[in-house]
Amino acid sequence: MTAALTAPAAPAARPAGVPRQWRWLARLHRSALIGGGALVLLTAAALVWLGGPLTDASAAAWKAYDACGFTPRCSYDQSAILLYKDVYNYVTFAVLAVPFLVAAWAGGALVGRETESGTASLAWTQGVSPARWLASRLVLPAVLTVAGTGLLAALHRWAWETGRDRIDTAKFWYDAATFHANGIVPVGLALAGLAAGALAGLVLRRAMAALAAAAVAVGVLWGAVHAALPYLWPSVTRVTALDEGPLGRGLHVGEGVLTAGGGRAAAPCLTSRMQGCRDTLADMGATAFYRDLHPASHYWPLQLVATGILLAVAGLLTYAAFRVLRRTTGTTRG
Amino acid sequence: MTVPALEADALGKRFGRRAWALRDCSFRLPAARVCAVVGSNGAGKSTLLALAAGLLAPTEGTVRVLGAHPAAARPRVGFVAQDKPLYPQLTVAETLRMGADLNPGRWDADTAHRAVAGGDLDPGRRIRALSGGQRTRVALALALGKRPELLLLDEPMADLDPLARHELMGLLMGEAAAHGTTVVMSSHVVAELEDSCDHLLLIGGGQVRLSGEIDDLLAAHTRVTAPAGADLAPHEVVESRTTGRQLSAVIRPSGPLPDDWRTHTPSLEELVLSYLRNPTAPAPAPEILEAAV
Repeated sequence: MTAALTAPAAPAARPAGVPRQWRWLARLHRSALIGGGALVLLTAAALVWLGGPLTDASAAAWKAYDACGFTPRCSYDQSAILLYKDVYNYVTFAVLAVPFLVAAWAGGALVGRETESGTASLAWTQGVSPARWLASRLVLPAVLTVAGTGLLAALHRWAWETGRDRIDTAKFWYDAATFHANGIVPVGLALAGLAAGALAGLVLRRAMAALAAAAVAVGVLWGAVHAALPYLWPSVTRVTALDEGPLGRGLHVGEGVLTAGGGRAAAPCLTSRMQGCRDTLADMGATAFYRDLHPASHYWPLQLVATGILLAVAGLLTYAAFRVLRRTTGTTRG
Repeated sequence: MTVPALEADALGKRFGRRAWALRDCSFRLPAARVCAVVGSNGAGKSTLLALAAGLLAPTEGTVRVLGAHPAAARPRVGFVAQDKPLYPQLTVAETLRMGADLNPGRWDADTAHRAVAGGDLDPGRRIRALSGGQRTRVALALALGKRPELLLLDEPMADLDPLARHELMGLLMGEAAAHGTTVVMSSHVVAELEDSCDHLLLIGGGQVRLSGEIDDLLAAHTRVTAPAGADLAPHEVVESRTTGRQLSAVIRPSGPLPDDWRTHTPSLEELVLSYLRNPTAPAPAPEILEAAV
C-alpha cells in the first residue's frame, strides 16, 4: 500500500512555539516538592522554636545555675538546658543534611529515573530538545534549593546568635557543624549536589546508582572543603611566652615553637613551668610558642572562599552534564 | 520523489569499546512510505531507529532525517521506543495534555484522543495502572498527536493481543495515509508487516542486507524447484537446499531460467527468512536498492 494519498501537512507554516514544560516538571515532581517543602518548613519551625522559647528557657536555667555558686541545695531547670542542646544538635544535623537530600533526589528522581526508564527520550522526542530538558531540570530545582537551604542556614545563624552569649555551653563559631550550618556553605554544597546528581543520572542511567553516586560526591566534596578550610584564607599568628603555652581561640591552623634562628618547630611540650619541658625547650633554642589561627573576623571570608569553590565545582559539573548530553544525543545546540 | 524521509550513509554505531551495533549502513527511504525494518533480535534495529530519532549520536557516517540533521528534525519526527516509556505518575488525560504542551503549534488533540478512545481507557487512570497494550496505545497517541512527518516505531505491536494489534494498525495506517506520514516500524514478526508495509529494510549483523520496495524485491527474486545437482550459475543464490532428488532455492535470476525448473514468486516471509538463514548471501546490486527511489 502506498500512503501518499494527500499532500503532507505543511508544518513549516505553523509557529515553532516554545514547549511549555515548567508546569509538567512541577507536576512530575509534585510529591518531592510537597515533601521537600514540608521538610524545610518543619526545620524552619524547629529553628524558630530553638531561637525563641528554647533559648530563653535555657538561658534562664543557666542564669539560675550560675547563681548557685557552691550552695549545696540549689535548683535550676536542667531539662531546659538538655532540651536546648538536643534540639540544637538535631536541627544543625537537619540543615547539613539538606545538600545530601538534594543530591540524592537529583540523581535518583530528577534525572536518573528518567534516563533509566526512557522517559527522558520521550521528552526529547516530544518537542523538548535535550538541552532545554536538562536546563529546566537544573534551573527550577536550583532556585528552590537556594531558597530552601538559604532560609534554613539564615535561621540557624539567627538561632545560634540569640543563644551565643546567654547559654554557657553554646557552640563556638568554629565548631565544625556550627561553622558550616551558620553560613552559605550548605547552599554551595546543595547546588554542587544538584549538578552532581544530574551528571550521575546522565552518565550512569540508573536511578539508584546515580542517587548513591551523587550523595557520595557531596560527602567527598564537603570533606575536601572542610580539610582545606584552614588554608582558604591567610591565618593570623599569635606568639606567646614559653611559660604561657600556645594561646588564642579560633579555627586552629597549626602551632609549635619559634626558635632563636627564626625557624619553627613542633612543640615537644606545652609549658616551660615544668622542669622537664623547660630543659627540652632550652635545648632546642625555643624562644616562644606560636599558634596560627583564624579569629572570628575570618568567618565570612572563609565561608565565601569555600562557597566559591563549591559553586565553581557545581558549574564544572553542569558543563560536564551538558557535554555528556550533547555527545550522546549528537545535538549540536539547544 | 523529493527529499528522502531517511537517508543513511556509511552509518555506524559502537557502544563503548564493545562490538559495533551497526556498521557501514547505507540506504534511502523515500517519503510517504510505510517501511518495515526486520531482522533478528540484536541485529541493530533499535539502534538504527534511535539514531534516526536523534537520541543517539552515530560513531561514524551520517544519517539525515527529512533532509536535516536528526536533532534539527526532531520536532517533525515521532518516536515510540520499544518499552513504551511514559511517566507512571501521570493519568492518561494528563499525559495527553502534556503532549499538547510540549508540542505547541503541532499538537492534534483529535488524533491523539482517537488513538486512546478505541482502548476503552479511563482518562483518569494512572499510567502505572495500565496494561502493556494500554500503554502502547497511549504511547502511540502521544506520537500521533504530534502529527509527525516521520513516525519511528520500535516493535510497536509487541504487547498487543491480535484484536488490538489489528485495530491499532488500522488506525496507524489510516493516519499515515491521511497525512502522508512516512512510517518506519521494526518488528521480528514478518507476517504482521506484510499487509501494511510497502518498503523493506532488512538488517542483519549490524548491516543492511536488503532495502527497497517490497514489490520490487519480490519481483527480483524467484523461488525455484529444480532437479538435484542442477547448476544455479550464473544466477545469484540466496539460499539453496537439496532434499532427495530435488533442489529448492531462492535466487536472483540474471537471465532466463531453464524450462524444466518450476518457479514462483516468494512470499515476503520466505524472502526474509532465506536472507536471515544465510548471513553470507550476497546483497543485491545497488540498482535493485535504488530502483524505487
